[in-house]
Amino acid sequence: MKQKITIDPITRLEGHGKIDIILDEQGNVEHAYFQVPELRGFEKFAEGRPAEDMPQITSRICGVCPTAHHMASTKALDDLYKVEPPVAAKKIRELIYSIFFVEDHALHFFFLGGPDFVVGPTAPKGQRNILGVLGKVGLEIGKEVIAVRRQLRELITLVGGKVIHPVFGLPGGISKGITEKDQERFIAASQKAVEFGRFCLKIFNDVVLKNKQYVDWILSDTYTHKTYYMGLVDQNNRVNFYDGHLRVVGPDGSEFTKFPSGDYLKHVAEHVEPWSYVKFCYLKDIGWKGFTEGESSGIYAVAPLARLNAADGMATPLAQEAYERFFDTLGGKPVHHTLANHWARLIELLYAAERMQELSNDPDIIDPNIRKIPDNTPKEGVGVVEAPRGTLIHHYQTNERGLITMANLIVATQNNAARIAMSVDKAARGVIQNGRVDDGILNLVEMAFRAYDPCHGCATHALPGQMPLIVRILGPDGSLVGEVKRG
Amino acid sequence: MRTIVLGLGNELLSDDAIGILIARRLQSELNGVADVIESGLSGLALLDLLLGYDQAIIIDSVSTGMDPPGTITEMEPEDLGHVIAPSPHYTGLPEIISIARELGLEFPDRVRIFAIKASDLETIGGGISAQVILSIEKVVRRIKELIQTWNLENAIISS
Repeated sequence: MKQKITIDPITRLEGHGKIDIILDEQGNVEHAYFQVPELRGFEKFAEGRPAEDMPQITSRICGVCPTAHHMASTKALDDLYKVEPPVAAKKIRELIYSIFFVEDHALHFFFLGGPDFVVGPTAPKGQRNILGVLGKVGLEIGKEVIAVRRQLRELITLVGGKVIHPVFGLPGGISKGITEKDQERFIAASQKAVEFGRFCLKIFNDVVLKNKQYVDWILSDTYTHKTYYMGLVDQNNRVNFYDGHLRVVGPDGSEFTKFPSGDYLKHVAEHVEPWSYVKFCYLKDIGWKGFTEGESSGIYAVAPLARLNAADGMATPLAQEAYERFFDTLGGKPVHHTLANHWARLIELLYAAERMQELSNDPDIIDPNIRKIPDNTPKEGVGVVEAPRGTLIHHYQTNERGLITMANLIVATQNNAARIAMSVDKAARGVIQNGRVDDGILNLVEMAFRAYDPCHGCATHALPGQMPLIVRILGPDGSLVGEVKRG
Repeated sequence: MRTIVLGLGNELLSDDAIGILIARRLQSELNGVADVIESGLSGLALLDLLLGYDQAIIIDSVSTGMDPPGTITEMEPEDLGHVIAPSPHYTGLPEIISIARELGLEFPDRVRIFAIKASDLETIGGGISAQVILSIEKVVRRIKELIQTWNLENAIISS
């Protein structure tokens, strides 16, 4: 009955993680294109549905970060009904969101950054995976990572319902509060999370920063772009994932603009390229100048490195210490090295854990007043959060009965798309010479986009369960010279 | 023997709903025989769901290969290519199994995968295609048979 089959990922690859590299006569890179899929039909699907359904619907379109969509959508509903949630509701939302960040960032470090940095970019292919990471850091640590992750997810479920189908956010509040007994669990887990965050930074320090070759990779020009950076900041210009104003700093690190998230359309525009489904975001005030960097190009980045660059610091003590060390080590602000995202991500993990601890211990979170019933007529609402992968914007318009007439999402990877495209192109040029491409070279190109943790979301959990990558090498006449596949 | 039937998919995303629909269909029929779980999660989260079970059946859509939509393929984890996932969100089943074995976690000894060929996995609210719907009854029947066979084998082994 059993048949041996090989899954050929080509069909899915038409949309998922495809890189086309065009070579010139000498076999050097003329241009490399990184493509991500189009998700069809969302706007149409949303039209006519009650706005209150959006946190459920949007969290289900993507199995990767449902919590981020749920939160952005819930905040868009607050804004739609012009209702201010009670203090307890806001704090519980941020608590759940902080837990999500710890869990998501940890996953990225051990499973994604780990293979590149803990095992090493030039290690044999068979070792560049989580098992290689566990082999290097020890099995006990592997068990600890799995256990911490599971515990954090259980806490999210306790308040928010299933991680994938959260039934948590409502306009003006949340559906379920935290009891005094639950609070003890949060406090205990948060203590562990902080220890875990410090431990992750220690591994990074011991394995990556003490290895000169890795540091040279981080600092190398191949993985460097001088662009603008965007991220949410609190009233003191410190990194915030849940709320605040969007702040943009220039390639020199100085503030370019700061605006309430509802004004995003005044500041961000989208550029279309014939070779990509993705609309590339850029700063309206500067304009689209092509895939170029520097002050005169409107391209900006989001995600951990961008958030650290766009802020003046972290709001918790241990993360602030780590933040200062980061910029001291990498030559001051801003840091333009794409691979530094991995380090920045761990600093954010520690911040999220510390924030989780602060909020877990906050007496306000057991206040039963968790909802303010909205009584305004809905019209338009914008909700913004920082997803682990960068700024996430939900924007809805409704009729007076609260039925959606327009829904627009700008997801993190879209904000980052232009810089990712440049990074892939530059890395390909840097490492491919005279038409020579092998697995190791492919990995060096992949590292350029992996640092951003791009999410092409949505359909990609289907078997075989991963996003395969294909790199096609095309000759100057467009003919296929070679192909390297993952998957 | 603890058995899990895991239907994967996204019911908003056209044919990707198939794993969910089959799980829903099996829910009442397998009451007391297996835990039937629907999930839209991916990657490492699947490990959390599978831990603690002795045998697992996973149902999911596939977009690859030349088979016509609705084609059902039965596989074991070894039949899937062992891939290095370029992102943690796409950690494949073979990788998850390796992690579980390496760490000595309580992972099902028996895993069978039902892959149903889809025609569209990218349109939100696109609805499920007719050929794919036709696979439901066949998969339901096959899964019930498989669990019976497994349980019979278990009974023989333990006697």
